[in-house]
Amino acid sequence: MIDVWTLVRFVHIVGAALWVGGQLTISLAVLPPVRTLLGPDRRVSVLRSVGRRFAVITMAVFLPSQLATGLLLAWHNGVTWQSLTEAGYGRLLLAKLALFALVMVAASVHGIAQGRGRAWLARAAATAALTGSLGVLLLATGLTAG
Amino acid sequence: MSEPLDLRPPGRPPRGFKGPFIAWGNLLVLAWLAVAVLLFAVHRELGLPVWLPLHAFLLGSLTNAIVVWSMHFVVALCRVPSPSPRRMGFGLGALNVSVLLVLLGVGTGVHWVAGTGAAGITVLATVHAIHLLRLRRHALTGGYGYLVGYYAAAAVALAIGGTLGGALTAGGMGLYARLLPAHAHLNLFGWLGLSVLGTLFTLWPTALRTRMPADSMRLARRVLPLLLAGLAAMTAGFVLASAWTVLAGLVAYAIAAGVSLAPFELAMLRQRPRRPAPWMLAAASFWFVAAVLIEAGLLLGAGKPDAPAMVVGDLLPVLVVGFGAQILTGALTQLLPVVLGRGPAEHKRVAAVLGRAWQVRVIGGNVAAVLVAVDLPTPLPSLGWVLAAICFGAFVLLAMSVTVPVVVRGALPASNHGGATTIGIAVGLAATVGAVLLGAGGAPGSPEPSSAAPVRTVQVELAEMRIDPPVVRVPPGTRLMLRVVNNGAAPHDLRLANGARTDRLGSGDSELLDAGVIDGTVDGWCTITGHRAAGMTMTIRPAGDGRAGPEGIDPAARPGPGWRPRDAALPPADAGTLHRVELRVSETELELAPGHRQRRWTFGGTTPGPTLRGEVGDRFEITLVNDGSLGHGVDFHAGALAPEEPMRTIAPGERLVYRFTARRAGAWLYHCSATPMSQHIANGMYGAVIIDPPRLPPVDREYLLVGAQLYAGEPGSDPQVAKIDAGAPDGWQFNGTAGQYVHAPLAARAGERVRFWVVNAGPGGTLSFHVVGGQFDTVYREGAWALRPGADGGAQTLGLAPAQGGFAELTFPEPGRYPFVDHDMRHAEGGARGFVDVVP
Repeated sequence: MIDVWTLVRFVHIVGAALWVGGQLTISLAVLPPVRTLLGPDRRVSVLRSVGRRFAVITMAVFLPSQLATGLLLAWHNGVTWQSLTEAGYGRLLLAKLALFALVMVAASVHGIAQGRGRAWLARAAATAALTGSLGVLLLATGLTAG
Repeated sequence: MSEPLDLRPPGRPPRGFKGPFIAWGNLLVLAWLAVAVLLFAVHRELGLPVWLPLHAFLLGSLTNAIVVWSMHFVVALCRVPSPSPRRMGFGLGALNVSVLLVLLGVGTGVHWVAGTGAAGITVLATVHAIHLLRLRRHALTGGYGYLVGYYAAAAVALAIGGTLGGALTAGGMGLYARLLPAHAHLNLFGWLGLSVLGTLFTLWPTALRTRMPADSMRLARRVLPLLLAGLAAMTAGFVLASAWTVLAGLVAYAIAAGVSLAPFELAMLRQRPRRPAPWMLAAASFWFVAAVLIEAGLLLGAGKPDAPAMVVGDLLPVLVVGFGAQILTGALTQLLPVVLGRGPAEHKRVAAVLGRAWQVRVIGGNVAAVLVAVDLPTPLPSLGWVLAAICFGAFVLLAMSVTVPVVVRGALPASNHGGATTIGIAVGLAATVGAVLLGAGGAPGSPEPSSAAPVRTVQVELAEMRIDPPVVRVPPGTRLMLRVVNNGAAPHDLRLANGARTDRLGSGDSELLDAGVIDGTVDGWCTITGHRAAGMTMTIRPAGDGRAGPEGIDPAARPGPGWRPRDAALPPADAGTLHRVELRVSETELELAPGHRQRRWTFGGTTPGPTLRGEVGDRFEITLVNDGSLGHGVDFHAGALAPEEPMRTIAPGERLVYRFTARRAGAWLYHCSATPMSQHIANGMYGAVIIDPPRLPPVDREYLLVGAQLYAGEPGSDPQVAKIDAGAPDGWQFNGTAGQYVHAPLAARAGERVRFWVVNAGPGGTLSFHVVGGQFDTVYREGAWALRPGADGGAQTLGLAPAQGGFAELTFPEPGRYPFVDHDMRHAEGGARGFVDVVP
């Protein structure tokens, strides 16, 4: 049945697709050719520009929309503080939120490390954030099951 | 000869592989190690047997490492032509498919899949051994020929050990306890041990950067026969269940291993190397010899024929963490730089990556080995496993970070960024696994224990490939608690099809397992590999019809936890002539048959209620307080009075005072006077008043047994009332619990005079009290002496109709265990029985 909640879920899912899909696209489709085709100077400026743009999209669009739609969906599903600790939907949601928070921390570490030129840390944090994001999707799939 | 090893990769990389073949092989080793570490971390959460991570490590990681490196060493050192990479790739592929089949077969419980995998490993091990022996003929240099001997012998051990393993997954053909230790020792001391010892003769000098001792090759050749003799004796000893043969084998093996390792350990002490590999090799060798010696010590200490099986469980953690994981990390730390790097600069780079924080990892790994090896209180061994997973998992990440780029791109990463991706993925995966475990904990569909369901506790014993009892029957809707006790020599566990499971229980351990509410048939089994196939299964069935069936009363069962027998000893009467007693009616959950607790209506919280005792002429003043939820009253047969007032039913919260004077001696019943009395008595509202006959001779011991029928089920419920009306009880009992003096026998000494007071509380049926092996010389029944000492006759039973009482006396002629019964044998078999333990 299509109603206003369908719309809220749609926005939530599109947000997740933007975030995880964006990371995957940058890692798998953008970075390899940029590394092989561009010289060191252009490479840095292109990557910096891509990174900035993605960070802006994250902060300005993705996070506000995910938080707002997520809160609405939780309210719609009757989630309470207490139910977050109960086995089942509540506990799964709590795990997803915790993992999402870790992903955000990793993404921030990536941004800061990139800015300070610590490439090894930036790269490790980026892959951790990407892997964790896939984990968030896995848990989200579990939430919609049944 | 300062660099005895020429570690050039054997052969050219095949098409499609960018990295050298040996890098691919090592990637397999690391991948299996990663799988093993991950499985060790989560197998409990996922309900997988510990067997899986153990074999992912031993069979997956170590076996790949041995195959890859033994072939490499033989080719490089003996200067024989390398087999084609295609052929080696096929062999390695077949090996890994076989390992996967074994793991899948055991994980899913499909024997033929595991058996096919085991057969594959056996065939490959045999082919490997034959191939090695044929290579020896082509060896250009003779000096390292001993290596082929070690590796071929190791492969033969794997072929035999693998065959035994395949047999074990199918139950071990009735010889499980003998084949298991033979399998473990052939593979650990044969396949792994011989490969490692053979390699160390050349690897260690390289790691120490020292010259190979001149006579070490001769020494290697000399100790091999002793090692093989020891291994053969161990195997034969286990199969024949001869602990002494095993011990002889262990001692021979320990001496040979010690002799071959000692020169290197001594060299270590002299030199104090600053690099990781020698320390890891030294620590691993120490644990290897320690494990053999510990096992010999345990065997010597236990001296039991079934000790070998016990020893396997104690030893595996030491061998896995202390020896296996450390020898693998040590060898790879030494060898990978040469394989992955091209030229000294890259060697150094790889070595630097593999050596990161090595001191912490070596110390952590060995602390972990101590924690898992020594029998410590509960959180410590688990901490040891976590520590081991962190230390060796860290090595996997480091090694992967340099191996993966070489395998995928054919070269180390250009910059110093190597490993960032691998570490990042690992961190992300770890966080995801943690979140999934957090989120999935306590599955939403699992039946939450409902407080309304009646609880029943049944003892289950695990021993010698059997679960006893094999079938547990409980009424549908019962919440079943299983007290699981391992009385066998080997470790066991119990897993139920509904997901409930115990920890792995060592010999003598026990655990209370909540089996949940039983609504349908639930199968149970031991998850240790092969035990289920060997017959360690059980079934929990909702009881069908049948008299005792519906309530699942089993008088032969064990009492539940916390159960205390009612003291049957009858103390003498108080000195005074006025006896004031307060009787509070309460509805209490009691154990009315072993392991079967249910709500009972009681006087004073117990069934029977408190016993009153006095002499003729004594005055009794009883205050009845109704704390229950129904109307109750009381009727004392020991007094005579107009019943209307004192025996009236009082409502909950009310109280009444009941006074009577005992005019006549006897063993009297008191019971609830509220209608329907059959239900109130059947649900536990009765007790005894003993009025001693004048000049009652003293005896050594006096016991009181109040017999009654047992009606299970919710008090006052339709099914229970129907059984009471039909006179079809679920069992019989003395003093409120069926069979309780079977589990807590009464005590007496030979020659002592013992008086048994008996009252039949009913509500229906007769009671015919009898002591098996004894004769009564005194019987007092319903106010009259039926028999006195000195007469010629004797009595075999004290027969009582409902609400009758009396006593019988006897002396036990000699020490022994004397059963006492209600000699209506249906009653005895239904719980009206117990024992008197008579000591000298």
